[in-house]
Amino acid sequence: MRFFDPHIHMISRTTDDYEAMARAGIRAVIEPAFWIGQPRTTLGAFVDYFSQILGWERFRASQFGIAHYCCIGLNSKEANNEALAREVLEILPRFAFKEGVVAIGEIGYDEISAAEERAYVWQLEFARKHDMVVMVHSPHRDKKRGIQRSIAVAREVGLPMEKLVVDHNNEETVKDVLDAGAWAAFTIYPHTKMGSERMCEIVKRYGPRQIIVDSSADWGVSDPLGVPKTAKLMLERGVPPEHVEQTTWSNALAAYSQSGQIDVEALLTTPVIDQRALFSDNSVLRGQAPRVDAPVPN
Amino acid sequence: MSSLDVCLSALDARLDARQQDWFQRARAEVRQGADDDRFCQLLSQASRYAPRGALAPSESELSAARAALEGWSLERWSVLECVRVALVLSLERLSEPRGERAVEEAFRYADIGEMCALYKSLAHLPLPERFVWRAGEGARSSMRALFEAAVCDTPFPARYFDDNAWRQAVIKCLFIEAPMWRVWGLDSRLEPELARMALDLVEERRSAGRPIHPELWICLGRHAGARGVAQLEREIREGSPRARAGAGLALARARELDRLQTALASESDPFVRQILTEALAGRAASSSWSALDPTHKPLTPVR
Repeated sequence: MRFFDPHIHMISRTTDDYEAMARAGIRAVIEPAFWIGQPRTTLGAFVDYFSQILGWERFRASQFGIAHYCCIGLNSKEANNEALAREVLEILPRFAFKEGVVAIGEIGYDEISAAEERAYVWQLEFARKHDMVVMVHSPHRDKKRGIQRSIAVAREVGLPMEKLVVDHNNEETVKDVLDAGAWAAFTIYPHTKMGSERMCEIVKRYGPRQIIVDSSADWGVSDPLGVPKTAKLMLERGVPPEHVEQTTWSNALAAYSQSGQIDVEALLTTPVIDQRALFSDNSVLRGQAPRVDAPVPN
Repeated sequence: MSSLDVCLSALDARLDARQQDWFQRARAEVRQGADDDRFCQLLSQASRYAPRGALAPSESELSAARAALEGWSLERWSVLECVRVALVLSLERLSEPRGERAVEEAFRYADIGEMCALYKSLAHLPLPERFVWRAGEGARSSMRALFEAAVCDTPFPARYFDDNAWRQAVIKCLFIEAPMWRVWGLDSRLEPELARMALDLVEERRSAGRPIHPELWICLGRHAGARGVAQLEREIREGSPRARAGAGLALARARELDRLQTALASESDPFVRQILTEALAGRAASSSWSALDPTHKPLTPVR
């Protein structure tokens, strides 16, 4: 099977992870812009971060046969530094239309503060104006209210609901998102958010429509194989294969290919690796023999 | 005694001659108007002289601290933090924009230990409300040491956070596993919206098949309502001993004494019985949850 992990922070992951992901059948990933575990203090840090997820990380993924897309956005936590947030929003349009940017994200609420809402609305309006998809990060605390408000505000701004992906759902929030007509994404985390067993139950209960599974793996305890492992469990527990395929591949593809940035045909062909390629004269190799013309095992 | 006096007198008894010599020179430099750059260096250098161990204040030092600033938990400070805060409090013209800038610059370049000391200093500064946003950064942090320095063991959030920031900080204790019972002033700032957020979280946890953190029930206070009471009764029926003890304390706070009595009558665990008996006798302040905190060791003051 092939998989799409539409939410993962690869800059925090190792090349071992990339190899394991390719082996498990992950063909494509989306790296949404987020914080880095602690707040940045300068605009330059954001500029370099956006460049990194658009540049070096995209190249690095390609060296393992994985297509790498990204989202550009100002996350909710750092929106609370309003002076810096204004500067970031000012330069955001310079990055938002780059090749491989499939959405504005991940944006939304953390503390559900007024400053977060201002940055969220600004970015929603930007997305609507440029017909872009939006990936919403839902808050840990007061999640249900936070999600309801994310949807209501997006609707008020006039963002079409099929352009809205709300992430980090759980049993208490999924209905609100599906009823709104938005995409409901679920993050499989070993200890928090959503476990694979619960994910099976949700797909059995609500069906596969508009439901997306992702790993959101990052610098915390998380699993870059969350999507294929959940798919395996769903099959074992009797979820129909076509439902597994939809929730771990084609729904994410449908949601994010609205950006026009995903070459679906190319994704369907078996990727071939050429590790002799360079990025700014730099290689992922550290003295090993390059893998050339190696098809990604599946 | 001012906060600075309390720090200086505590340090007098704890720094040896070499440490004291460095500290006095550093402090003189700060008082003579060291620029921001030098001030940041001195805050860093402190770690090369001052001991990192707990300050372990005596009873009289603790009461002097409480008299200087209500809610000051000096027992949670290290000697090094005390040195750093004393340096901050020695800054000239601290109430002027220059002082604010010096503190902000120090935060910007701080490592984790310096940041903890700086967060602990905020409630002691003149015009502390200038630093509400900065304290909020501590509450937004994912590093527990920083979060605790900014949110627990300081009167700052209860005094200066707005309602939203306050609720977020309190609920976040559960997410970051910081001791909620150590949030100073929590019982004086309970309100229905905080209880509502806590109860939504209960439903989320139940849907996920996860246990409820016993400290969550602190948030209900007397605003449990029928929804809260139903959840507490369920916890009494199904929960672990710690969970039952936490729910029992919450029943007392919700003034549901009949239900608490019933819970006590059917309780067989001696530890839980003791907590519930005390709750019935009116001892159910948020500090009572310290008995349920497996990481909590009562501090023995040095005499």
